[in-house]
Amino acid sequence: MTGLAVDDAAWASAWRRRAPGDKLLLCGGLVVTALVLPAWPGSLLVGIAAVGLALGPARVPARTFGRAVRWPLAFVAVGAVTAVVQIGSGGPGWAPDAAATAGSLVGHAMAGGAAVLLLATTTPMSDLLPALRRARVPAAVVEVASVVYRLLFVLLDSLRTIREAQAARMGYSSLRRSYRSSGALAAAVLVRSWDRARRMQDGLAGRGMETGLRVLPETLPSSALFLTASGAGIAGIVTASLVLA
Amino acid sequence: MHIAEGFLPVGHAVGWTIAAAPFVVHGARAVVREVRENPEATLLLGAAGAFTFVLSAIKLPSVTGSSSHPTGTGPGAILFRPPVMALLGTVVLLFQALLLAHGGLTTLGANAFAFAVVGPWVGYGAYRLTRAVGAGLLPAVFAGVALADLATYVTTSVQLALAFPDAGSGLAGALVKFLGVFAVTQIPLAVGEGLLGVLLFRALTGNARPELERLGILTPAPTGSAA
Repeated sequence: MTGLAVDDAAWASAWRRRAPGDKLLLCGGLVVTALVLPAWPGSLLVGIAAVGLALGPARVPARTFGRAVRWPLAFVAVGAVTAVVQIGSGGPGWAPDAAATAGSLVGHAMAGGAAVLLLATTTPMSDLLPALRRARVPAAVVEVASVVYRLLFVLLDSLRTIREAQAARMGYSSLRRSYRSSGALAAAVLVRSWDRARRMQDGLAGRGMETGLRVLPETLPSSALFLTASGAGIAGIVTASLVLA
Repeated sequence: MHIAEGFLPVGHAVGWTIAAAPFVVHGARAVVREVRENPEATLLLGAAGAFTFVLSAIKLPSVTGSSSHPTGTGPGAILFRPPVMALLGTVVLLFQALLLAHGGLTTLGANAFAFAVVGPWVGYGAYRLTRAVGAGLLPAVFAGVALADLATYVTTSVQLALAFPDAGSGLAGALVKFLGVFAVTQIPLAVGEGLLGVLLFRALTGNARPELERLGILTPAPTGSAA
């Protein structure tokens, strides 16, 4: 358990052993398809495919998937309503095609979001970072990103522990105390992050690894069947959308 | 709050990615140079990125009784400078998209432009300007952190207004709508994040003075002055 539900789901997913490149192609294809096809029926088909694959073959818990879409759903709902409100001389009102525009915005966003979530809940970040290296992102940048990934769970754990201790001491019993506690919490986490980094560096230097911690990436074999099925599925969605539209 | 996956039209998603790219590439070059000269900087930069991610997870109390989350880029811009934050902010956005489902991949460029470029540069500019007119560290931190937060949401509002101009009043009307929803409501939260920044730096001045001196935030005390 890492403490982040999406990351936990990725490690436990039935697709965990599938090649990250295969899953990137499938999910990237679905994201692009959701973006470029008309919302009806393209977004609906992409959304059904992404949710169906996540909850079906990839065995992602429905509760994790459902909870993860709450935040983007809040943004999408507020953004879509704001986009279709029209400001006229008589005050605000609905734009002429408000329902269709709002439906299109929500459709595109929810389908794309589901496709990204399919990738996120089946592929741990440590599998995706080597793909950045293959995409010619400088090694130093990928290594910094790897350290961010490794450290953030330690820091999130520190954050929870310190906050619990502060709350137990009435640190959040008033607005003034809440601010003071939040400031002390942020400072404690920053100082701990520096301390952790310094101690990790000392540990690596003591072992002669002065240019960072290099590990052999796990090689997961690509599946021709998975790639063919992904391509056929996306082609089917595009064809069905064009025919139905 | 970041622009969700799929919310922007294709042209806007591509356009904002192109706009953010030079800043992120510049930041990546700064990081590569820093790591080449000081290999141990990898871990400190990673710690800075992880801190920015974690800072955005702290609940910020608001006067209405609800809570929100800081953007976290203001303190980072003051501590580590905007070019580095352009890269670290983009890495944090990628992690937020893939670990928290906040933001998205096709909207990564637009979110990076607001969160990792405009916010840090405005915040750092406000911090330097406030210090240049003779203010102390804490007022400058307040100005920098609060304006970094506000500038991020103003930029997000502009991005949304450009993508969805109002049917009757065009871009100006859309800007009023999106600023009203995403930026004006953010003003109390920006003030709150500014206060959080002040408390953070006040605690750091007491607990981590050597690190602040090494980063150039504080000037080292003259030797022997303590006596």
